[in-house]
Amino acid sequence: MTFTIAHHIKSDNIKLFSTSLFNSYSQIFFSTYKPFAILIFLVSFIDFYTGTIGFIAVCVTSSVAFILNLDKVTVSKGLYGFNALLVGLGLGMYYSFSWPLVFIVIFASILTLFISVSMQGIIGKYNIPFLSIPFLLGIWIFTIATKHFDALGISERGIYTMNELYVIGGHSLVKVYEYFNSAQIPPFLKIYFISLSAILFQYNVLAGLILSIGLLLFSRIAFSLSLIGFYIAFTFYKSINADITLIEYSYIGFNYILTAIAVGGFFLIPSPRSYLSVGILVPLVAIFSISLSTIFLHFNLAIYSLPFNALVLMFLYVLKYRVSYSPNLAEVYYQYNSPEINLYTFINSQKRYQFLNLTPIKLPFIGTWKVSQGHNGKYTHQNNYRFAWDFVITDDDDKQFKSNGDNLEDYYCYNKPVIACEKGVIEEVVDYIEDNWVGEVNLENNWGNTVIIKHNNYVYSKVSHLKKDSVTVKKGDIVSFGQVIGKCGNSGRSPYPHLHFQLQSHPYIGSQTLEHPISNFLIHRDVECVPVNYQNPKQDELISNTETNKLIDKAFHFVPGQVLKFNVQGNSKFTKLVWNVNITPTNETYLKCKLSNSKAYYVSADNLFYFTHFDGKKGSALHHFYLGVFKVQKSFYTQHYLNDDIPLHQCFPKEYLWFHDFISPFIRLVKSQYKLEYKNIDDIFSPSKIELESSATNLFINKELNKNNYSININQHGIEDFTIKQANKHITLKRIYNNETL
Amino acid sequence: MEKLTYEKPIINKISAGVPDKFGMGSTIQPITHIDEVPVKELAKQYGSPVYVLSEKTIRKTYQKAINAFKTRYQKVQFAWSYKTNYLNAVCNIFHQEGSWAEVVSGFEYQKAISNGVPGNKIIFNGPDKSKDDLITAITNESLIHIDHQDEFYDIQAITKELNKKAKVAIRVNMDTGIYPKWVRFGFNLENGEAWAILNKIMIDDGFELIGLHTHIGTYIMDANAYGIAATKLAQLAVRIDHKYNHHIKYIDMGGGFASKNTLKGAYLPGSDTCPTFDDYAEAITNALHQSDIKYDQMPMLILETGRALIDDAGSLIGSALANKRLPDGRRSLIINIGVNMLFTSFWYEHLIAPAQITSSYTEDTIIYGPLCMNIDVIREAIKFPVIEKGGLVVISRIGAYNMTQWMQFITFRPKIVLIDMEGKTHVVRENEDHNTMNALDRVPEHLKEIIL
Repeated sequence: MTFTIAHHIKSDNIKLFSTSLFNSYSQIFFSTYKPFAILIFLVSFIDFYTGTIGFIAVCVTSSVAFILNLDKVTVSKGLYGFNALLVGLGLGMYYSFSWPLVFIVIFASILTLFISVSMQGIIGKYNIPFLSIPFLLGIWIFTIATKHFDALGISERGIYTMNELYVIGGHSLVKVYEYFNSAQIPPFLKIYFISLSAILFQYNVLAGLILSIGLLLFSRIAFSLSLIGFYIAFTFYKSINADITLIEYSYIGFNYILTAIAVGGFFLIPSPRSYLSVGILVPLVAIFSISLSTIFLHFNLAIYSLPFNALVLMFLYVLKYRVSYSPNLAEVYYQYNSPEINLYTFINSQKRYQFLNLTPIKLPFIGTWKVSQGHNGKYTHQNNYRFAWDFVITDDDDKQFKSNGDNLEDYYCYNKPVIACEKGVIEEVVDYIEDNWVGEVNLENNWGNTVIIKHNNYVYSKVSHLKKDSVTVKKGDIVSFGQVIGKCGNSGRSPYPHLHFQLQSHPYIGSQTLEHPISNFLIHRDVECVPVNYQNPKQDELISNTETNKLIDKAFHFVPGQVLKFNVQGNSKFTKLVWNVNITPTNETYLKCKLSNSKAYYVSADNLFYFTHFDGKKGSALHHFYLGVFKVQKSFYTQHYLNDDIPLHQCFPKEYLWFHDFISPFIRLVKSQYKLEYKNIDDIFSPSKIELESSATNLFINKELNKNNYSININQHGIEDFTIKQANKHITLKRIYNNETL
Repeated sequence: MEKLTYEKPIINKISAGVPDKFGMGSTIQPITHIDEVPVKELAKQYGSPVYVLSEKTIRKTYQKAINAFKTRYQKVQFAWSYKTNYLNAVCNIFHQEGSWAEVVSGFEYQKAISNGVPGNKIIFNGPDKSKDDLITAITNESLIHIDHQDEFYDIQAITKELNKKAKVAIRVNMDTGIYPKWVRFGFNLENGEAWAILNKIMIDDGFELIGLHTHIGTYIMDANAYGIAATKLAQLAVRIDHKYNHHIKYIDMGGGFASKNTLKGAYLPGSDTCPTFDDYAEAITNALHQSDIKYDQMPMLILETGRALIDDAGSLIGSALANKRLPDGRRSLIINIGVNMLFTSFWYEHLIAPAQITSSYTEDTIIYGPLCMNIDVIREAIKFPVIEKGGLVVISRIGAYNMTQWMQFITFRPKIVLIDMEGKTHVVRENEDHNTMNALDRVPEHLKEIIL
C-alpha cells in the first residue's frame, strides 16, 4: 500500500499565500472569515493611498515569511500579516504617499514580521498570543525614526477626504460618505462606529458601519461583545464624568471593543463568566488608557492598542495560574477562529472527548460482576484511595454467597479468574499471603496478593486480595487483555472474597489511586443491557466487558494511504466518489474528499470509532458520512442504541443558528442528536452482513426541526454501502473494493 | 383431633440409640408441599398420579449453571437437550433463559422450530439424520454435528444439490480417563479418524467447519474428565488453525453432568458425591484458558447439559394402592406409579417420601408399581413408614428423561402440571384417555365385527 500523506505542494503554496492575504485583514478582529476580510479590505481603501500602503505591507510580510520558510500554516492564518497591515495603515495614514514611503513601509513590514516572530518565541512559550504588540513596537519605532526623514511629508489627506473619495467613487460615494457622517445618529451609536473605524486609523461612521456589519456576519457573539464592551466603557466614562465623545478618547475606543471580543469570546469560551470578565476588564482598560496616554504624551506617541494588549495578556496569563481547570471559564485550546464554533465545539467536547487519548482500560474479570464499592465508597475507598472499585458476584437475590456464606467457597466470586484489563507488562506480583477466614482481615498486609500491570508510563492497574498461589504471571511478563493472571481470593484487608481494582500512576503497591474511566463495558439492568464508553462504574451496578465485533471493527478500520471508492446511486450529480484516508503530522487521521474539498477527522480506538471534527462543505457526501457514523461502538448487541450529541454548527442550518448565536453563551435551546441503532446481524458465528441505522436530528426545545436518516450495511470486506435518506431522495454510496491502491 | 391411623403391630429389631454409619437415623421427611403448593391439593385437582414441574427450580438451576460458566469464561452458550425433556413449556423456559436447542432427530428438530427457535440456534446431533432432515437443517443454517462418514457423504451430496454451504462441527470421541469410553458416536481422536474427516471437510467448499463437539458420556462423576476433553479439543482447534489457518468458532462439551440422584449400587448418596456446576466449569474453563488458543480467538463454549438442569425440577405424585406382606416377611407397598412412568427407576434409587405426616416407625419395604409385570419395582429396599391405601407419596428428582422415555403401557399417561414463578399451577400436558389412544388405531374392515 502506498502512503500518500499530504505534503504541501506548489499549488498549495499559492493557495496558502492568497489565504494569508485575506486572513491578515480579518485577523484584526481575530477572524478568518473571508467576507469579513473583504469588507475590511474595502474599508481600508476609503483612503486609497492608505489602503494601498496597507496592502503592500501585507504582501511584503507574507512574501518574506514564505521566503524565510516560516511555518506556512501560521502565515496563512494571517497571524504575522495583520500586525504589519496595521503598521502600514498607520504610516500610510500619517504620511503622504511617496516612493520613499513605500520603501519605509517595506522595511517596517519586515521589522514587524521579525518582532512578531520574536514575540511568538518569547511569550508564545507561556501559551499566550502576542496580539498586536508587534504593531505597537513597529509603529512606535517608525514614528520616532521617521520624524527625522525629511523625504516623508505629513499627509494632509485626512483633511481632504472628500477629494479622495471623489477620485475613487465619484459624486455618489461622496454623497454616501457625507450622508452617514451627517446623519442624525444618536451620539452613543456614532461613537461606537467611529471607535470601530479607528482600528483602521479612520474616523468616520461609514467605515465603522461596514466593519460592524462584517463583525455581525462573522460572529454574533463577537458583535454583541463589541457592543457590550463599548457600552461598559461608555457608562464608565459617564460615571467618572469624562466625555468619551472627545476625540482623544474615541480614537482609542476600539481598545474596549477588542478587549471584549478577545476575553469574552475568543481566547476564552464564551460563557456568563467570560462576559463577566469583560465587565471587569473594560473599566481597567479605560483607566489604563487614561494614565498611559498621559505618560506617552511626553514622548509624542499615541498609545494605540496598548491598553488592550496589556490587560488582555495580563488576564490570560493570570488564568494560567489557576490551580485547577474550570469549565466555567475555560481557555480555548484549539482555535477555530470563531467564537461560535469554539463554543459549540467546547460544549460537545465536554461531553464527548474527556477520554481522548486515555488508555483503553477494560474490566479485570469475566462475566457479570457487581460493584460492591465504587469511587468515594463508604468503607475504604477514601482520600488517596478514592478512585478504586470492589467487585463481587451476586445471585438473583443479590446475595454474594450460597448457603450461609461461612466458607470461602460459598462466595460466588471466590476462585474466579481475574484477567489483565489491558495489555501491559507485569510490574509487581505478591502471591504468598494466606487467604483470610470469612470475616477476618489481615491488616499487616493490607492489599493481600496483588498484581500490578504497567500499561504505559502513567497508567498502572492493580488487582488485589487475590487467592494465594493463584497468580499465573511473574514480574516482567507481557500480558494482553483477557489473559488470566490470577484468581479472586480473600487475602489482605478483605473480610469476604472480593476483587479490588484500581488504576494508579505509580508502580508501587500502596500507591494512591488515579481517576481513570473504563473504556467500554455493559451495564446490566432488569431486561436490557446498556453499553457505555469511558465511564466510571458506579456503586451497585452490574457490569461486564463488551465483546468487539470483528466485522464492525474491520469496516471502520481505515489505513492511512487507503483510497475508498464509491459508486453513487440515486438522485445525485456524481456517479463516483473517492475518499482518501490521510494522517496529519500530529497523528490525526481523516477522510478527505477532493471533490467537495472536505475533511472529516476521526479516531478509531479500541472498541470505538468516532468523528471528532468536520471541515469542509456541508451537505457533501462526506459530511453526511460524518453525521451518519458520528460514533460507532464496535460491538453488536441486537436492538441496542447509541446516542450522542453532534456539535451544533456541524449539523444545524446556519439560518436557524444565526439568531441563537446571540444567546448561546448563556442558554442553549437547540440540540443536534445522533442515534445509532444496531439493526441486524445475519449469523452468530461467522457473520457476513450487519445492518446499522442512524439518524441526525435537529431539535429546538425538544421539538424536531429536521432529521436525516442513514443506513449502513457492512459485509466481510468492510462497509458495503451507505445510504443517505432525506425526505424526498435516497442516495446510496456503494463501495467499490477492487483496485484499492493507487 | 384426627383419628389416628391403625398400624398392624410388627416385631422389629431394636436399633434405638445406634446411629447408622453416617451418624444419622433413617427417618424419612414427608414432602407435603412443592413450591408451597400442597401436594394434597395437586392430587385433588389433577388426579393421581401426576407429574409436577417447578418453573422456579428450573430457572434457578439454569442460572446457577450458566453463572458458574459465565463468570469463568467469556462466551458461554447453553443448548437445551430436547431428549431430556421436550415438553414445549419446559423447552420454552430454557429458551426464555437464553438456551439454544440441541436435537437428535427430525422430530425434535421440528419441535424446536415450532417452538420458535431460529434455525441457526439449533444444534443437530445424533447418528440418525435423514436426508430430508439434513436438507432442512442446511437450508436453515443449523449447526450440524457430523456423527459418521456416511453422514458426511450425505451432506456433501446435498450441499452440491442446494449449492449452499453446510455449517458443521464434528463429534469427536476420545479417551478422557474414565470408564466406559463412549466410542460409538463421532470420530475417534486417538486413532486419527477425527483428522481423516477434518481433512475431508476442510478441503470441501460445501462445508464450513465452525465447531468441535464431544460428549464424553453420561452421569460423569469426575469433573476432571471434562478438563481432559476440553484440553484435547482445544489442542485440536489449535492444530486446525496451524494446518488450515482456520479458527474454530465454538467448542461444544456436550452434556453428561450428573444430577443429584443416587445411582443404584452407589455407596454414598448422589447429592454428596456428584460434582457441582462449579466443579465442571472450573475444569473446563481452566483447560481452555490454559490452552494455546489466542485470547481474541477464544471459541464460544457450548454446553448441552440436560439432566443436571431439569432433574431437580420434576416430581411425581402417586398414591398407595395396597400394603402387602410378602412370604419372606418383608413388607411391600404397591403404588400407582410404575416403571412405565418412571423409567429412571431402573438405574436410580429414587427419593420417595410420603406426602403426609406419618409415624416415625419405618420398616424395610419393597415398593412396587401397579403394572401386572414382575419387573415393575420402584424401590427394592427402603426404610419406609406405613402408608394407608389412598395415602400420597412424592418421588423427587424425576425431571429428566421420564417425560420422554415414558411408556404408554397398560394404562394411560397422566397429566403434567407446572407450578409457575407465582405459585400458580398450569396443566402443560393433558392426560391420555381412551380417545387419544384409539385415535391412531386403524382396524381393517374384516376385523371390525366381532361376535362373542
